[in-house]
Amino acid sequence: MLLLAVLAMASSLATALGIVSSSMEKRVAEEVRKYGANLVIIPESARLDVGSGGLNFGVVSEPSYLQQKQVEEALVKSALKAEVSFHLRGALQLKDADIMVEGVNFSDIRRLFPWWQLKGNWPAAGETIVGSDLASRMKLKVGDIVELAGSNNKIPLRVSGIVASGGEEDGLLFMALPELQRALGLDGQLTLVRLMVTAGGDSLKKSASALQMLLPAAKVNEVRQTARTSEGLLAKVKLLMLMVTAVVLVSAGSSVAGTMSTTVLERGKEIGLMKAMGGTRWEVMLIFCGEAAMLGVLGGLAGYVFGSVIAQFITKTVFSASADFIPWFAGISLGVSLFLALLGSIGPMISVFRLDPVRSLRGE
Amino acid sequence: MLFRILKNSFLKRPKAVFLIFLSVAMGAAVATAFLGIAGEISHKMALELRSYGANILLEPSAVEGGGFLREEDLPKIKTVFWKYNITGFTPYLFGVADFSAGGKKERGVVSGTWFAKQLEVPGEDPSVQGIKGIAPWWEVQGTWPEGPDEAIVGATLAKRLGVIVGKELDATVHGRTQRFRVVGVVTTGGYEEEQLFAPLVTVQSLLQKQGKVSRVLVSALTVPMDEFGKKDPASMSKDEYEKWYCTAYVTSVAKNVEEVMAGSRAKPIWQIASAEGSLLKKLNNVMLLLTVLALVASATAVSTSLMASMAERGPEIALMKAVGADRFQISAIFVGETLIISIAGGVVGYLLGDQLAGIISRTVFNSAITSPLWLFPTAIISALVVAIAGSVAPLRRALLIEPVKVLKG
Repeated sequence: MLLLAVLAMASSLATALGIVSSSMEKRVAEEVRKYGANLVIIPESARLDVGSGGLNFGVVSEPSYLQQKQVEEALVKSALKAEVSFHLRGALQLKDADIMVEGVNFSDIRRLFPWWQLKGNWPAAGETIVGSDLASRMKLKVGDIVELAGSNNKIPLRVSGIVASGGEEDGLLFMALPELQRALGLDGQLTLVRLMVTAGGDSLKKSASALQMLLPAAKVNEVRQTARTSEGLLAKVKLLMLMVTAVVLVSAGSSVAGTMSTTVLERGKEIGLMKAMGGTRWEVMLIFCGEAAMLGVLGGLAGYVFGSVIAQFITKTVFSASADFIPWFAGISLGVSLFLALLGSIGPMISVFRLDPVRSLRGE
Repeated sequence: MLFRILKNSFLKRPKAVFLIFLSVAMGAAVATAFLGIAGEISHKMALELRSYGANILLEPSAVEGGGFLREEDLPKIKTVFWKYNITGFTPYLFGVADFSAGGKKERGVVSGTWFAKQLEVPGEDPSVQGIKGIAPWWEVQGTWPEGPDEAIVGATLAKRLGVIVGKELDATVHGRTQRFRVVGVVTTGGYEEEQLFAPLVTVQSLLQKQGKVSRVLVSALTVPMDEFGKKDPASMSKDEYEKWYCTAYVTSVAKNVEEVMAGSRAKPIWQIASAEGSLLKKLNNVMLLLTVLALVASATAVSTSLMASMAERGPEIALMKAVGADRFQISAIFVGETLIISIAGGVVGYLLGDQLAGIISRTVFNSAITSPLWLFPTAIISALVVAIAGSVAPLRRALLIEPVKVLKG
């Protein structure tokens, strides 16, 4: 009974650690996505903006555009698993001042930019979100009506929220993509596409070059800041989990094998009796190994069930997601338990065999 | 007498004793390794996450008026309340320049910055600050600039100008021309690819903005934002504000840095800061749960192996009782045995666990680990506690043994 408990414990440990560390990689990969897009598509001749913080050097070159249709077709063809958000940037007039306006689909933004600190609400039709710097410059607050002047028409919009991100978003005004395309007379055109690619197996670089082949008129860039750092981080987490699992398994395993040996050692008398009655070494060995194997199988089964419960508990508390039920871990769990049981009993048995049955029966 | 019995019980059955010793040592090793690492790991992970880049942006508070920050304020960043949390910072000065190289002309952005600058602040340890430290994802072909007229060019700009490493290019601003030698080409996938990066001093004199910087990026270790941290500091009471200021939220560190830089305002870069907070919290929780799991497992393993070895010693105990040993004497013998084994196992386990923690830390994080001093007594005491707890049940059973029954078989 005691042995069964110990074996079950060791194999449940193996199962739990195995499940947690194999699902860990996936969970962390999901977490890392919160750092944002890892690929961007821009028109071939375009230049990226100077970057975060709303530093504006004016237009350094003629604007160029991507065709939304082409990009969509290319994405379908490439069969990439990716979340996409389309962006169009252009200047509109607000109170006689040029401001940068970005057209986006707000539902995509909510998924791809989880770090936006939004005061107010996400916009409905006819509403807009204003960057915090722009808002304080233009003295705008939630609920105000802004009137944007395009090339030929005026668009009244209600400010539904103010966004702070610490990045370039702070200096921009956001509105729905189709509305901006209409206002600028640029139907179906984009300046930037952000992609969050789930790199399934092959690296991001490959996905980028595959996409590049399909979009000759565009440039596909890998955002090294998020992409490379995430890859490095994931590798580290994986390695850490591996080491931790190895340490725990080796130590618990040796401990369990030790317990196993103790009980076999104490059964010298029994072995002596068997031998005295004419049992060959081989037969005695078979009997003991059979016992150990049975214990191992039972322990392994119990361990698998118990270990799955532990793994479930851990993933639930930490990632609030349910762990994958991985059937082949039952095999691992059985294997660990069997291996330990046999390992623990074989070593001492060999030394017990050397004993003279007469002496061990007399209790010497 | 007690001593003799103990001595013999070790010498006469070395195998059994060794097995218990092994399991105690292994248990203590796991406990030591996990406890030693669990504390460090959140710190190491936080440092690891810093390679996502700066999480605080310092700008002039008057962006519109083309304001600037003063370069002479920069060393003060290393003297603020949260100075040990600030892992690096880099100043930038931007300007538009006309580049020309080999007959080609392009308009582009020139940035003055620190690459890896030795910074000596009186009263503080010298440190190296600059892009190299806070933006490890930069892929530079060639080398980093060292001399004042060396520069790194963004990959897109380099392609347009047709320059490669080793070539020279001229940057002209308002009639002043500076010649740069290209020592590296940088690929980032971001806006950096459109710029030329040169040492801050050179760009300052090119732009006639001596002693000025346009912005500073700060990389700081922070704690995840919680409900309290999200409150608006302006609406806090005095006590609350103090608590907020003394917790390393990204907002309070930003506030702290803002105070020492004249005419600045600090903004958390939420893309980095918010993702980092949640990721760190989860990794820490996983490690905590795994530590608990490992400790419980090793404790069970140790106590079961003790039980197994004790359970078989019925006849011995019965014999002792028959020759007149009282409960106290029997307990003394068994507890004494357990004590000796577990102390020895604890010491060996500690040494082993310490090595394990070191190995894990080296392979995963490439850095040594300093295990805290309190770990040594903790390892031994925990080995003792586990061993004693494991022997209580079998001891109780041993004391209830009726000598006559057992000896008769």
